[in-house]
Amino acid sequence: MSDSVFSTPSRRSLFKLGGVVAGGVALAACSSKTASTGGASGSGAKGSLPGIGNNGQVGKGRAQNADTLFIAGFQWGPPTTYNPFSPTAAWPASNNVMQIVYETLLRWNILTGEVMPGLAKSYKVDGTSTVTLTMQDGITFNDGSPCTAKDAAFSFNIGKTNAGVTVASFFQAADSIDATDDKTLVIKVNQTKKNVGQVLRLLTESYIVPQKVFSAVAADKLATEIMTNPVGTGPFKVDTADQTQVVLKRNDSYWGKTFYGGLPVMNTIIHPIFKGNEDANLQFANGGLDIAQTFQSQIWKTWEAGKPTGTYLKSKPYYIPGSMPMLVFNCTKPGLKNPVVRRAIATAIDYASISDTAMSGYSGTVQPSLILPTGAEGKFFNQSDATANGWKYDKAAAEKLLTDAGAKKGSDGIYVLDGVRLGPWKIITPTGWTDWNASCEIIASSCKAIGIDVATNFPQQAEVTQAIQGGNFDLGHWYVAGVNPASPWARFKDVLSQAEMKPVGSTAFANYGRWTNPDVEALLTAAAQAADDTAKKAAYDKLDALYRKEIPMCPTMYRPDEFYEYSALNFYNWPDEKNTYAPPMFRGAGNTWMYKIKKIAG
Amino acid sequence: MTNVPQSAILAEEAEPKPGPGSQVTATTRPSWRNLNFGPRMWVALTIIFLIVLMAEVGPFVYPYKSSLKVGSLYDEPSAAHLLGTDNFGHDIIAVLMNSTRNSLLNGLLAGTLAVFIGVLIGILAGYVGGWFEELLMGITNIVVAIPSIVVLILISMSLQHTNVGFLKGIGGLALVIGITSWPWTARAVRAQASSVATREHIDIAKLSGAGTPSILIRDVLPYLASYVVMAWVLQLASAILAESTLSMLGLGPSGTDSLGIELHWALAFQAVSTGAWWAFLPPTIILTLISFSLLYLQSSLDEVFNPRLRRGKKKNLAKAAARRAETARKLAQQNEKVEVLS
Repeated sequence: MSDSVFSTPSRRSLFKLGGVVAGGVALAACSSKTASTGGASGSGAKGSLPGIGNNGQVGKGRAQNADTLFIAGFQWGPPTTYNPFSPTAAWPASNNVMQIVYETLLRWNILTGEVMPGLAKSYKVDGTSTVTLTMQDGITFNDGSPCTAKDAAFSFNIGKTNAGVTVASFFQAADSIDATDDKTLVIKVNQTKKNVGQVLRLLTESYIVPQKVFSAVAADKLATEIMTNPVGTGPFKVDTADQTQVVLKRNDSYWGKTFYGGLPVMNTIIHPIFKGNEDANLQFANGGLDIAQTFQSQIWKTWEAGKPTGTYLKSKPYYIPGSMPMLVFNCTKPGLKNPVVRRAIATAIDYASISDTAMSGYSGTVQPSLILPTGAEGKFFNQSDATANGWKYDKAAAEKLLTDAGAKKGSDGIYVLDGVRLGPWKIITPTGWTDWNASCEIIASSCKAIGIDVATNFPQQAEVTQAIQGGNFDLGHWYVAGVNPASPWARFKDVLSQAEMKPVGSTAFANYGRWTNPDVEALLTAAAQAADDTAKKAAYDKLDALYRKEIPMCPTMYRPDEFYEYSALNFYNWPDEKNTYAPPMFRGAGNTWMYKIKKIAG
Repeated sequence: MTNVPQSAILAEEAEPKPGPGSQVTATTRPSWRNLNFGPRMWVALTIIFLIVLMAEVGPFVYPYKSSLKVGSLYDEPSAAHLLGTDNFGHDIIAVLMNSTRNSLLNGLLAGTLAVFIGVLIGILAGYVGGWFEELLMGITNIVVAIPSIVVLILISMSLQHTNVGFLKGIGGLALVIGITSWPWTARAVRAQASSVATREHIDIAKLSGAGTPSILIRDVLPYLASYVVMAWVLQLASAILAESTLSMLGLGPSGTDSLGIELHWALAFQAVSTGAWWAFLPPTIILTLISFSLLYLQSSLDEVFNPRLRRGKKKNLAKAAARRAETARKLAQQNEKVEVLS
């Protein structure tokens, strides 16, 4: 073979190998040195300031680019288009990422569960029939043209004629959205579903675009149109962009000066484009980034090394839980069809190991529920029922479930139940999703430990997406709805929905495991239509009880909706648990910190 | 070097030269010592022995199993865990021992398979010759021209979908490496077999009625044995490195420890940037030691099998040179006497 690995090794190889060892030693030495001394320069203790490093450190500010915010974690390849309807839209035009160039009518706060004003200064819900919004005064696009309710209505109605764009899903929850005048929008809620929460959710996630620009784009080109100069209502414009970075410049004529109490603190935002988390994290630790949205293993090591870095929470789990990765069982497969087997697997998983190692300690204790026990959803969580009828890691109990059901262990150490050998099954998740991959390894070894034959497989993301949505898998580690104005209903729908279930081979966006149940759809409808929190909790209790009985999916850890980590090298007053003026977010209400952080120098 | 008389070389091999009174000593010397293992051979064998000992015996005496969670993510080295823990909270030494064992097993399987295929194709091509040789070497050249890493990655990815027990483990990876790394062995063996095929003893074997398989095994293969042994040692090293390459890319077998898989997780969990040297340095050092010792062993074997490459202490080399000169002088004297007598 022509590859050097397989060519005849020579004496030179010995020198090369020696080089590898020397290189390894040097790397270890470098990393240790960085950890011990790197944070010393340019920072000093100023513990009295708000929103500084978790170690109480704050930097001295940058001599150059002091008015520039460096951000990372959103764009990983050369930007191609800023068309928000394109599935490959670049940051910050990609859907529901940040309110920088495009903005939404309402903003969601992950801490309080509150739906806050955005382009709409107020909204009014009339029972479950209509939602009326009133636009802010004097909204303009960054080309100076006014933004009215007609532009807002157009931005949603575009989904009526284009089923391929994300906003098309708005019309599953609403029948119509109309501008009755330049400042008023009226939305008629779908009376079959009466799901106001889902309507509000899409109002917080969908960008408003200028009608005059997008009406000129042919309907069939809407998702593929290349746009290099996005016209939005946000406080920044795209200045330059190439394969190395995206540079945004502040729009000093921004309409929201009055609403937000001024312009954003920074006049430039630069998003360097890194190849992966590793590069971005290194840059973050070295003060090259002010804020990032990347998974950083053992982030505490950055502030332990003296860097002025911080997270919202000052102790573990450091991040606000916002999503719930799921182990999806394919309920059409022999063996996995059986709820006893699914429960045995759920009981066999070492959740503490997943949290402690795979998630770097960023996950709290996972509960046997589809409701996040903390934050905005906490009020719906039923701890007593979860404890009484749920599961927790217990190897012996997991095996007992199988043996009680009549399973016998084969000579290979794998159980056979009702003539079906429990495995071999593959658990899939995309390659490169580091914490997800590591979780899968723990799940597979947990299953093997009780006599269920599970191995891991990490194909490319596109392949996994196709397999999960098409139902062509055994076990999948996949995501469902995170925290949003419609959760936890949206999560129950993603896990249990019968209406959105598709046959194996067809693309499904919910109930990937094709679990069937005749009663659940009525419970989902009742939960969607519940008028107040008490009624909602009662409905969710029923849904969660059914879920705990059937377990078509099983939560493996709690992840933050967005990783939020900052560096107080050039700016301070970042939101944190002691400085709670804004949630630790980038999307939705997370834009508040852009107006409130403070420059250290100058 | 080629003009050194054969008798002189034989004299060197018999070193130390037995004196008139040392006949008893020479005959009682163990025959293996005549192989003249040099210090490099002993260094290589010692390293290999220690690594094999660690991999095969270590797991039975070490208190922790490699699958046991004993700590948290990248716990620092401590008295309880001398090399700390990995990203799964497993004891690094336990994982290292298991990984080394699997990597050696992979190398053994893949290397043996590659040598078997290479020798089979090479010996057939070299001995049979003609269009059959052209065909086999044509296939070999095609395989050589395809970048092996691409083939390895593609086959490894497809193997990840299989549910066949043997293929989804370390055996599957060994199989892939073995069937993609035989060509250079085949080419070298063909050249040697082609040369052996023209020797007189092959004609004698044919005249005595021996069949082709018998000739290949009894009359050709023994002449290639020294090369085959060295090729096997090299294939072991290559296979271990190839497994590490694939596993580091995330294409290793599921649920198994190996040196490459250790490096894969160390990279994925940013061990370098977080300063967790214990996660990536031990497997790197073990890999280096395995490759180094195998290459050193191959180099030493080369000296054993090929006396012209033999090296030693300057003092011994000087003595050997003096003996050669003396032998040459005596031969010259004998020749002169013969000429005078004639």
